[in-house]
Amino acid sequence: MAAPRRGRPKIMVPRKHGPEIDIAKTWEELSKNIREIQNHNAANLSFEENHRYAYNMVLYKHGEILYNGVRTLVIENLDTLARDEIVPAFPTGMKDPNMQNDEEELLLKALRKVWDDHRSNMVRLGQILKYMDRTYIKPAGVPDTNDLGLQLFLSHIICSPIKEHLVSAILNQVRHERDGDVIHRSTVKGCVDVFLSLEVDRDGTTVYKRDLEPVFLKESQDFYEMEGERLLNSCDAPQFLRLAEERFEAEQSRTNHYLSSQTTQPLLQILKDRILTPHIDTVISKENSGLDVMIDNNKFDDLSRLFRLCRMMSKGMQVLQSALKRSIIRRGKAINHISLGDDLAEAEENEAKTKGKSNTRNTNLGIQPAITWVQDVLEVKDKFDLVWTTSFQNNREVEIALNDAFGTFVNLNEKCSEFISLFIDDHLKRGIKGKSELEVEAILDKTITIFRFISEKDVFERYYKGHLAKRLLYGRSVSDDAEHNMLTKLKVESGVQFTQKMEGMFNDMRISADTTKSYLEHVSKTTAPEIELNVTVMTSNAWPMASNSAACILPPQMDKACKSFEQFYHSKHSGRRLDWQLALGNADVHVRFKDKLHELNVSTMALVILLLFEHLGDDEKLAYIDIREATRIEDVELKRQLQSLACAKFKILLKYPASRNVDPEDTFTFNSNFSCSMRKIKVGTVSNKVENKEERKETRERVEEERRYQTDACIVRIMKDRKHMKHNDLITQVTAQLTSKFLPEPMVIKKRIEHLIEVSLFN
Amino acid sequence: MERNGKATSDSKESQWVRLQSTDGFSYLVKRKVAEASGTVRNMLDSEAGGYSEALTGVCEITERGIIVEKLVEYMSFKTYYETVNTKDDVPVKEFMERIPPEIVLELLLAADYQEM
Repeated sequence: MAAPRRGRPKIMVPRKHGPEIDIAKTWEELSKNIREIQNHNAANLSFEENHRYAYNMVLYKHGEILYNGVRTLVIENLDTLARDEIVPAFPTGMKDPNMQNDEEELLLKALRKVWDDHRSNMVRLGQILKYMDRTYIKPAGVPDTNDLGLQLFLSHIICSPIKEHLVSAILNQVRHERDGDVIHRSTVKGCVDVFLSLEVDRDGTTVYKRDLEPVFLKESQDFYEMEGERLLNSCDAPQFLRLAEERFEAEQSRTNHYLSSQTTQPLLQILKDRILTPHIDTVISKENSGLDVMIDNNKFDDLSRLFRLCRMMSKGMQVLQSALKRSIIRRGKAINHISLGDDLAEAEENEAKTKGKSNTRNTNLGIQPAITWVQDVLEVKDKFDLVWTTSFQNNREVEIALNDAFGTFVNLNEKCSEFISLFIDDHLKRGIKGKSELEVEAILDKTITIFRFISEKDVFERYYKGHLAKRLLYGRSVSDDAEHNMLTKLKVESGVQFTQKMEGMFNDMRISADTTKSYLEHVSKTTAPEIELNVTVMTSNAWPMASNSAACILPPQMDKACKSFEQFYHSKHSGRRLDWQLALGNADVHVRFKDKLHELNVSTMALVILLLFEHLGDDEKLAYIDIREATRIEDVELKRQLQSLACAKFKILLKYPASRNVDPEDTFTFNSNFSCSMRKIKVGTVSNKVENKEERKETRERVEEERRYQTDACIVRIMKDRKHMKHNDLITQVTAQLTSKFLPEPMVIKKRIEHLIEVSLFN
Repeated sequence: MERNGKATSDSKESQWVRLQSTDGFSYLVKRKVAEASGTVRNMLDSEAGGYSEALTGVCEITERGIIVEKLVEYMSFKTYYETVNTKDDVPVKEFMERIPPEIVLELLLAADYQEM
């Protein structure tokens, strides 16, 4: 509002507020009224009157008197309040915890009451001293009424000994609550809030931060140090975890409800450091209640809790990971041990076999360890997968640890590849029986997960090829679909190269079927041999069979049939060589016994032997040596064939002397009295079984050989590409390329390189 | 004279208060309008303050009626134009012209006291 310069009416000088202000009198009035305000009697006072007193004092340059006067009055009031309200509430050193609790509560309540009182006083004073705050404060360089109030509260209430009593009361309250007593959180909060709103210096450090938090944390540390020990000694693992988690929750809610959220992190850190970190190892490995037992008993809640707690700690996941690994490997080793135990039993049985035990029974037993092993592994895998999804929230780190551990123990069993292949074989063979296709599919899917753990995939490939070949040749596969499914799974896992040869086998089977068909058409037009021949032509490098296997002298009628096919085949594909794998074939033959006519399904070799008896009389005997002479079958194979004909379930031949084993001195007759309820009989099945030691050694050698070739090929491939290369780099490269198939050893690679240098492929 | 001391905060805005001058004039003003003065606002604060004025709803303004009238006029003016966006729309000049020069100084002091 600007004062106009040229006013027609004369500008009146405003009258003074009260002709001559008597400052002493004014202050006397005002101070009396301020005391009234402090006594909660503001309602009887006129705001206008007091505001004007203060205004006048400031206006007439007596701000200092006013300010200092107010200051003194506030201090007096605070001292009175402290004396009347707080000091009487000081704890009297009671021993009884309940009484203690009550006393502490009273003290905290008193503090809060004084605080509230003081605050509202200061607000009221602030209102009437507004003019002072507006005009006097700044030039005088003093805090305004509100800040003055806080400062004075700090210096006259939050000081010794009141402060110490308050802090210890708060700590004791916390302690009561930790010990399980009920306290009034709101009371503690009331006092803590006061601490939180009082700043002790310019950067905003509060009384809470300066006086309460450090002591509180120290106290908590000591408490949980003890608590950790106590829990460890008095609880089993699930209980420990539950109580620990409860502590975490309690402390969190404590800081949220009546302390400050700024304390949450340091406090939780103390919990982690004092309860979890030092003890978690011990808890996890507690006997009768630790991790193993929890997993055994499907204690998903406890496991989830363990996971949550471990995840909070910095090292927690590592601890959990290694504990899980230990658990899995321990289980795995047990499973491996069982299968090894069977291995010993098998060895014994092999011995027993030489003493004359039945062959077929042994072969039945043969694959049992493999099946059991895979099933056990799958069971463990299922168990841990379940734990992983239900309790470990599908955590990646845990998954890595699990896979790692499975890989470790699976590969500890040197027969793992064979076992898995046998297991798959068993399911692809018998699938339909008892289990639906879907179930088989599911099982095979799971098996693939174990297959993933195998580090020596080439070994598996070898076994799988062997088993697949047998399934294909003997027509044992449950269905082509199932086989192809499995193959697709393997292809997805390990790439096209891995299954290339197996697909070749399928291919051969298909082409052979066509060839046989056209051959049969061909012979029906020309001269058919007496035997209906069904030939599978196998590409030699795709099939895992030895190229020159047991040969024998074929009887003329069979020989003729073979020749006829050879002729037919060569006419179609010139320049190919056909080798007969007689050991892999089988034959249906009608045999007339005294009782009735039976259709026997025997191996080709067995047929060759049987045919020797064709023209003999009932009582005519053939000695072992004669048979060998006539057929030129190798001893081992011949014994096996004779055993299955004469010593097994169906005794087509009779052996003299009768025993379970075939000796070179034995003689045989045709058992024309043979009788059986079934018309069709399958004799001498060549069943899969777990390899014995020598066989394994042989397979191993073949695998090693194969690896040498692969390593060579790999080295050459890389060198062709790079021309020059450092030795170490080469080894790293080769290792990287071969790892998907097996784990090459640097020494072996080095040797192969040396070998290649020797044959002067490079220098 | 009404007693509005116990009124709830909902009706605060619509309360009427009485502003009394030293020479017996009194002005019934909406509380919201009266609170354009910081001093009056504190005076009427019944929650934190609770002085007698807050209880009675009667405020003594220690000025002559002519001054109080101008103060009230300005209170209304300020409240009315408070929500206007641009300063240009506020007819400050017209208001200033309505102030008789002879009370200018007195009004200035009163406005300072009233914190408005």
